[in-house]
Parts: sequence; structure tokens; C-alpha cells
Amino acid sequence: MIPSLNLILQSILDGVFLGFLYSLMALGLSLVFGVMGIINFAHGDFIMLGSYLVWILANNMRSDPSLTSIVTVPLFFVIGAAVYTAVIRPVLGKEPLIQIAVTVGVGYVLQNLALMMFRAEPRAVQTTYLNFYVGLSVVSVHVAKLVSAFLSLLIILGVHYLLTKTWVGLAIRATAYDREIASLMGINVGKIFLLVFGLGIALTGLASSLWMTFGKADPYLGSSFGLLTWVIIALGGLGGVSGLLASSIIVGVIQSLTMTLISPTVSLAIPYIAFIIVLWFRPQGLFGKG
Amino acid sequence: MSTKHSSRKAISKTMSVVVGVIILIAVVAGVLIYMSSRAPPTTTPTTPTTTPTTTKPTIEKVKIGIIEPLTGSYAVFGQEAVDAARLIADIINNELGGVSSLGGAKLELYVEDAGTSPDSAALATERLVSNYRPHVILGAYISRLTAAVAEVTEREKIPLVMDALVDWLTEKGWNYVFRIAPRASTHGKSAVDFVLQMAQKTNMPIRTVLILHEDSIFGTTVANGIRSELIAKGIIPNETITYAYTITDFGPIISRIRDLNPDVIFSVPYFSDGILFAKALQASGIKVKFVAGAGGCGYTDPDSIREAGTAVEYFTNTYSYNPARQTEWNKRVVQAFQQKYGKLPTEAAGIIFYSLMFVYEGLEKAGRMFPQDPLNPDNLRAAFLSLDLNDNNSKAAQLYPTGKIKLAANGENLYGGTAILQVIGGQPKVIWPEAEAGVTPVFPRP
Repeated sequence: MIPSLNLILQSILDGVFLGFLYSLMALGLSLVFGVMGIINFAHGDFIMLGSYLVWILANNMRSDPSLTSIVTVPLFFVIGAAVYTAVIRPVLGKEPLIQIAVTVGVGYVLQNLALMMFRAEPRAVQTTYLNFYVGLSVVSVHVAKLVSAFLSLLIILGVHYLLTKTWVGLAIRATAYDREIASLMGINVGKIFLLVFGLGIALTGLASSLWMTFGKADPYLGSSFGLLTWVIIALGGLGGVSGLLASSIIVGVIQSLTMTLISPTVSLAIPYIAFIIVLWFRPQGLFGKG
Repeated sequence: MSTKHSSRKAISKTMSVVVGVIILIAVVAGVLIYMSSRAPPTTTPTTPTTTPTTTKPTIEKVKIGIIEPLTGSYAVFGQEAVDAARLIADIINNELGGVSSLGGAKLELYVEDAGTSPDSAALATERLVSNYRPHVILGAYISRLTAAVAEVTEREKIPLVMDALVDWLTEKGWNYVFRIAPRASTHGKSAVDFVLQMAQKTNMPIRTVLILHEDSIFGTTVANGIRSELIAKGIIPNETITYAYTITDFGPIISRIRDLNPDVIFSVPYFSDGILFAKALQASGIKVKFVAGAGGCGYTDPDSIREAGTAVEYFTNTYSYNPARQTEWNKRVVQAFQQKYGKLPTEAAGIIFYSLMFVYEGLEKAGRMFPQDPLNPDNLRAAFLSLDLNDNNSKAAQLYPTGKIKLAANGENLYGGTAILQVIGGQPKVIWPEAEAGVTPVFPRP
């Protein structure tokens, strides 16, 4: 079937919306990696855990999943702080392999916890007030995705403001730049790390709330998003929020167009191929500093 | 600095000793656990030493291996299959008194987790065989896992009664594989036959048809069955869309559906992808006249209905099992399952119901045909192939959608057939080939 122009435009629009949500998912991971140097392989699994929590809250409260972020964001901040204190802090400064093993272990714990509590059954929220389309002249807008994209952009801009215009943000950037000098300058590096890790996990709680407005939860959701967020970060390079946004949208659009023009079966492969090609020519990523 | 260096070295040595001790303890514990879990040697049937007259061997139990995916994304099916096996074994052992031709031998189940990959399924089978040497194995629901299991059971000459549906599992020339359930292409054919029958009845023209399926060998085989039957009936599908079972967003596929505007969508989901698709289709507002599922997974099972809600209303799916079949044994087993597990048995449970009951009836036959060595795999195979079952002479047949079971030489049931369920008022109802009492199929979707 030869795709029509409408279909291509629709795919691009869907991809852009999805890209914004991906950028929110990747933001927490980017913060943790950029400031702490920790590769958190459990990041996707926190999104999975958040999705299940959203399912429980939304079904009990009979509310739209997006509203559950009132609970998930602070709760996940606390969870992030607890995981940092108990699991991450002891391995700071240790060999990277140890840090990787620890975060992979956390991921497996979360997966198996979900399997134990929910078995392997997927869960979807029944009361989703935003899960409908609005037809415009040439395209249809999925309202849930539009709202998710809008809120994701707002939050990303908010985090950017925090990092660039506030004293806390300055301390975070200083720690990311050189933690020893930051410490010598009076910055409590331990508290900064706690804040950053907690914030990174809190952002997964928000991403889960938005994801569940049109998605579903299953114990293996983490593996779907975990690798994707890494690709987005590596593709964008550590070049700040703009790089993250751009690479997320690129990945979202490539995925969407691949599903439409080639086949949904290879929709995951093509972004990874594009990622490899980009890194071949620009190892620092599209927006990273060389 | 040298003190620091020597203390760092001392810590490193101590740590090495600690790690070494922990590893040693773990190895010893592992060996002890492994040895304690090994079954005692099987008591070999006693044979008479004095008189040449026949004395039947004493068989206390028949070991039935159950290999199903109990972890991973397919665990929802595997767990239901194991629940069903336990129920049927309980009925056979306690209500029916065990296998009477084997002196009342009881069925003893040995359950292993097939995991999520062919490698894990093969390992589980090896473990089951080396630890317990079961007489018969049932499993493993997912076709590619079952193929890995069959490689082992065929080598070990252990009869495998499969609950996986892909056609080629009985086309590889294996001697010890058997399948009572209708194969995948039969599911596809049934879905088409149902839709065309209903379309003719309601004068609904079918101009545009879309086939949508997950891209594993299962989805592909069912979809091939759909395509073949459509073409045989003079309808060329307009498009076929495949996707990975792990898909997270149906947006682009919904866009293609909107562009194509099909009258009928034949869909072959696994489970969670079906929920996602149904919700995405509902959100899109696209009015597809009918969505016909095929393959026995998704849409009309209680878990899918619970998660997808009104999104799956009026969806149908083909099933290898008919929970509404009004035979004595089917009603009894369905009621027992609902009482024990709180839900209607669906695909995974249904296949095990009649498969394990078939094994029981095969064992009865083997005991009569080969009293000296009934559990010999070749004798079991001969007994299985000799059975010609129907509602009047068999409990297994009463549990089967067509009411008839007879295996061909390749182990396939010659009377394979499906039932079709539709979600009506949030409940799964059997609508085809015969509708449940008081139920009228809804076609097309309002």
C-alpha cells in the first residue's frame, strides 16, 4: 500500500508527541549519568514500577492516570532517595562494573517484584479521560499524547530552569563538572547526589503517569524503555536539554515513520541503526561537545 | 604511604579469603540441595522369576511432566495450564481412582518452568528428564518453546502431548509428539468461516480486509491460515500488518487502519498487545464493522476483558476449548475450575483439560493392550493412536470442542476444531459453531 501524505504527516505528528514523552523518560537518566557518572540500568524498570502504581491509583481513584502524578512524583522521589542511600552510595567511586552490576540487580529485583505481585498479566487503566482523537483537517490528534507531550516539555523546561537559573542548579552543575572542587567550594556533594538521584527517579514516576494515559503496564516494560532511553542520551550527547529533546523527537519520528512506511516489526531496529550511524560520524552524539 | 599500601593489600587479601569462603559454602550448599532434590531411583516393575505365566508389573504412580512458561511474558498462560493440570490430576486420582488398568496407579505431576526462550525450555526439559524421568510430558504452550522441548523428548523417547498450536510441530517426522488441540491454521480458517457465515446471514458486504498479527511463528501461522481461507473463498486481503509482540504504541498502525478503512480486521494478538490494540482502536473512534480475533489468545478471556474494558466489546476470538459445551464432564470440570480459581477456564486451561484426560484414557488403553510393559513409550504411542473417542465413550472427547478425538500417524487430531467466543455485555459468550443458550451473536458491531 502506498502511504498517503496524510498518513505520513500523521506518523510524524505521532512521532513528535511520543518523542516528547521519551525525552521526559530519558531526562532522569541523563541527570543521574551526567552528574553522578552512574549508569542506572534499572531506570526503565522504575518506569515499569511507576506504571503499575499508576494502574492501582487510577483504578482506585477512578481518575485519569495523569492525575496520579500528584502521588507518584513525591513518592518516587522518596524511593529514589532510599535506593541512592541503600544501594548506590556504597558503590560510588568503585569500579564501573560494580556499579553496573548493582543497578542491573536493582532492575531484576523490580521486575521480579512486579511478577510476584501482578504475575505477568498486563494492566491498563480503564478510566482514561484523555484517550481519544480529535480530527483536524489532515491529521488526527491523540489527545492523551498531546497532553503528555505538552506536560513533558513543561517539565523539561522546568528542570532546565532549575539547572541554569537557581543556586541548587548551579551546585548540581558544579558537582557534575568536578565533584572534588565542588566539595572544596563548600557544596555538599552527597546531598547533591541524593537530590539528583531522587529527582531522576521522580521523573520516571511522572513519565509513568503520562504513559498510562494510553499505554499499559507489564513486568517487561522496563526493557522496552531502558535501552531506548540510553540510545536517546547517547544520540543526543551530554549537550543539555536541547540535545535531549532533539534526539528524543528524532527517535520518536523515526520509530513512527518506520512503523508506517516499512513495518512495525522493524520499528525498534531502525532507530538503533540510525543511532549507530550517527555515532560512527559523531561519537560525541549530535549535540555533545567534541 | 607504605602503611596505606600494606593496609590496602591486607584488606584485599582478607576480602579474597572471605569471597573464597562464600563461594565454597555456596558450592557445597548447591551440591547438597541438588542431591537432596534428586528423586529416589524408580522402582522397576517386578517380574516373575519362577513361573512363566504373566504377572502384571506393580505401578504405583505414573509420572506426568508439565513444562509451561511460569515466568516471563507468557506466564499468564503457563500458570493457567498448571492450574488446569492440577485440577484434572486431582479428579483422575481421587474421583476416578487413578488408572484402573494399571492397578489404580495415580498420576503424579512434576512441574518445570519453560522460561521465555527455547534454551530455557530445553534446559527445563533436560532437568525434568534427568531428575524424574516422567512417562509423559505435557507442554509448553508457546510454539517455539515447545519445539525446543520436543527436541529433547524425541531424543529421550518420552511422549509429548503438546498444547502449542503451530502446524509444523507435527510435520517434522517426530514419533513421540501428539496434539489434541486444533492447530494454528485451523484457528485462522475458523475465524474466516465464522465471519463469512455471519456476513452472509446479515447481508454485510466485505470489500476491504486487513490482517493484523504479532510476528512470531504462532501469529504468522494463524495469519497464513486466515489468508489461505480468505483466498479460497475468493477474498484477497488488502493488507497485512505485522508487529512485535512487545509493541508499546499502536499509533502508526491505527493511522494505517484509518487510511485503509477496512470492513473487517482479522487480528492475531498474544495478550498484552491485544489490550493495547483494542484501546487504541477505541480511542481512535474508527468504526471497523468487525474485529475477529484468531489463535485463542487475547480479547475474550477474562483478564483481557478486565484490562481493556469496553474496548473489546463485541470482539471475537477462536478458542481451542469451548467452556460452554453442555456435556456432563465439561460442565463438571468448568464448575470445579471456577470454584477453585475464581474464573472461567479459557484457552490454556481448556487444552490441558482434554489433553491430560486423553493421556489418562491412553494409559487405561495401554494397560489393557500391553499389560507387561504399559509405560513403554512405543506402547504408549500405539495406545494413543488406537483411541477413537467421542462423547459417548470418552471424558476427554466431552471436554473437546468437536466431541471427537482420533490421532493420525503424525500425532495430529483428525477432528481438530475451534469454538468462537464474543465479548457481549463484558462477558465472554460462546457464539460459534453453536451459540450458548440465550445468546445471539452481535454482527456487525453496532
